[in-house]
Amino acid sequence: MKPGSLVWLVAHDLRLSWRRFAGMFRNMSGRRAGLIVAAAVACFHLLAWPAARWMANRDASGDMLYPAVAAGLLMVLPWIVSSALTNTTRALYTRGDLDLLQASPLNPRTVFAAKAFSIAVESMMATAVFILPVANMNALIGGAHWLAVYPALAAAGFAGTAVGLVVTTTLAAFIGPRRMRLVAQVVATLVGAGFALGLQAINIVSPETRGWLYEMAAHPPAGSLFDHDGWLWLPVRAFAGEIDALLAWSVFSVLAFLAVALGLGARLGRAAILAAGAPQVEPKPQAAARPSRRFRAGVGPSLRRKEWRLLARDPWLLSQVLLQIIYTAPVSVVIWKSLGPQGSLSLAIAPALVVVSSQVAASLSWLAVSSEDAPDFLASAPVTAAAVERRKLEAVAAPVGLFIAAPLAGMVVAAPDIAVWTLIFCVAASASTAFLNFWHPAPGKRGDVMRRHAQSKLVGAMEHLLALLWSLALMITLFESFWALAPIAIAGAVLAANRPRRATGVKPVASQPTGMTSTATSMR
Amino acid sequence: MSDASAPAAALRLTALRKSFSKAAVDGLDLIVRPGEFYALLGPNGAGKTTTLRMIAGLLAPDSGGVEVFGVNALADPVAAKQIVAWLPDEPMIYDKLTPLEYLEFVAGLWSVPPDVAEPEAEALLRRLELWEHRDQRCEGFSRGMKQKTALAGALIHAPKLMLLDEPLTGLDAAIARQVKDLLVERVQAGASIVLTTHILEVAEKLADRIGIIRNGRLIAEGTLGDLRAQAGQAHSTLEDVFLRLTQEAA
Repeated sequence: MKPGSLVWLVAHDLRLSWRRFAGMFRNMSGRRAGLIVAAAVACFHLLAWPAARWMANRDASGDMLYPAVAAGLLMVLPWIVSSALTNTTRALYTRGDLDLLQASPLNPRTVFAAKAFSIAVESMMATAVFILPVANMNALIGGAHWLAVYPALAAAGFAGTAVGLVVTTTLAAFIGPRRMRLVAQVVATLVGAGFALGLQAINIVSPETRGWLYEMAAHPPAGSLFDHDGWLWLPVRAFAGEIDALLAWSVFSVLAFLAVALGLGARLGRAAILAAGAPQVEPKPQAAARPSRRFRAGVGPSLRRKEWRLLARDPWLLSQVLLQIIYTAPVSVVIWKSLGPQGSLSLAIAPALVVVSSQVAASLSWLAVSSEDAPDFLASAPVTAAAVERRKLEAVAAPVGLFIAAPLAGMVVAAPDIAVWTLIFCVAASASTAFLNFWHPAPGKRGDVMRRHAQSKLVGAMEHLLALLWSLALMITLFESFWALAPIAIAGAVLAANRPRRATGVKPVASQPTGMTSTATSMR
Repeated sequence: MSDASAPAAALRLTALRKSFSKAAVDGLDLIVRPGEFYALLGPNGAGKTTTLRMIAGLLAPDSGGVEVFGVNALADPVAAKQIVAWLPDEPMIYDKLTPLEYLEFVAGLWSVPPDVAEPEAEALLRRLELWEHRDQRCEGFSRGMKQKTALAGALIHAPKLMLLDEPLTGLDAAIARQVKDLLVERVQAGASIVLTTHILEVAEKLADRIGIIRNGRLIAEGTLGDLRAQAGQAHSTLEDVFLRLTQEAA
């Protein structure tokens, strides 16, 4: 490979991606890591078996094959676009080696074409993990033509990345680099959540509409949007293994990607330069020479106000936390529809609200404790670690309350008894995940809030387990069964097992968040 | 235990020890007097930062004692921290806060009454030429501006003892001059300062006494004249003296 060439740059990027992936197994031997990966691959293939059987039946009967593949693509394509958007903004803002590459005498167009290619590969890999096992099992049951999913998915990766790049550069051009990150993240979230909600779309529509959709999908009128021979169905036919369609879809996707990657390379370069120098704060007009505000006294108010300010001033971070709310929405829909005729919306929202409050509390408490910007500064202040912890917990509680206030208020009107139980379980769930993060801090940067469990996988698993247990307990309580005590007892046991045994006279520890003890770190 | 009849030292370290994989601080005895500007010098890895972090309560010593103005900092760390300020080379500030908000936060932590803290904050920000930027978030600041904000935070609670670990690293000449002038004023007003630096000219010009530490032990201490005499180099610069003494101890 010629140094500085497109292929060389792509290989460089892919090597870094591979090392990031391998870094997940850094504490394991190569053999153990290989075994884990092999077990995961086998597991995904086993899980794909029922889907493959179902598809094989559609394949055999013929009439519903394309609609079934189309439904799958409605999930996969937005997912790829969402990943591409996220990866593009991350590449521009996290920088990494971008400054070095931009300072080098390489053609910026080559640099950004290579970046775009890496983004495409990363975006398609994110979906390939879940899609390719289905394709393999389909090929085993239904025939080798299902292996066409491999090139079709690669083509989808290029097409989806092209869309993601166009959206990112358009946003940069119209709203500027400062807002682009947030807006791109919100768009990525909505696109991603759209796919999650789309999963349940068929259950949400009325039976009449559902029947009409089935009829149109199975027997589409010629020339209509549902016509399987139309251009809109090209990717569907490609994924289903039609060679002509596969070729056309691949050529179209690669050309679209090349046009965007090469054509917008210069724009991406400008966006990257602007993103690097983008002020993350609006310069304010010079104020008059007087104190702009009154100081207020007290350790508690100071700490609480500081936490709230840091949260409120990082909208990107807030959007990351809010992602969890959006991703919980489909759960409500599933529960609502599964409750049958007697189901009420309040009953459906309640468990999801418990999950949301616990997850938001977990994220915020991690931000407050583990991603404290100046832990040494706080440790050098004349305040005990316990006092700092208590104030931070108080600071976390208020935003969690705000998040659940509106749906709870609606519930109070619709079903007051459900609202009361929901409030009780939200408080319990939030407190338990917040305490978990206080007991087991895992220091990291604020921007890594959604990847915080990479450092502390056990804490992450416990967080999800507690959220599910409290949610389950609420559901059982709402059905007026004493069995609710079972998940509550398990949640209590999980918390008791995780509570650190504090030694008396705990010594301060260098460069660790206030309140961290030696026992607290043992889980990581 | 300090002698009750003697005036309390600003800082008294007694047989202080701390080991990581090897001894970082190895039985260090040190006294800094009230109103003294003390420079703690040493080669990289000598144990300077570890020593300051133990005094500031950020690191627990394995053994030994730390006393700040008569307060046992290991037994009553909160009381000791109340009169100590810690300023490392990397500014400990919050990017999303403005300088004024940062000072309000620091004043809150040290329980400085608002009617005292507010005018002091204004005076410090004006003095450090940050007043025009008081409502801008620190994330857009240069390193020098961030370090000045952190310095203002260290000064707003009027500490009796200041621990400064390489406070001038990365500052341009003008900002470094502002910082040095402010530190000298504080010492003249009665505060004590322990400063580590690799810029030996700073120690030469500012320090009342200089301690040289190597492998966690104090190998020389005194005024520049004392050190020259110890090194047998009557007319040498501090740099020559420092190199001679540290090489001798190697």
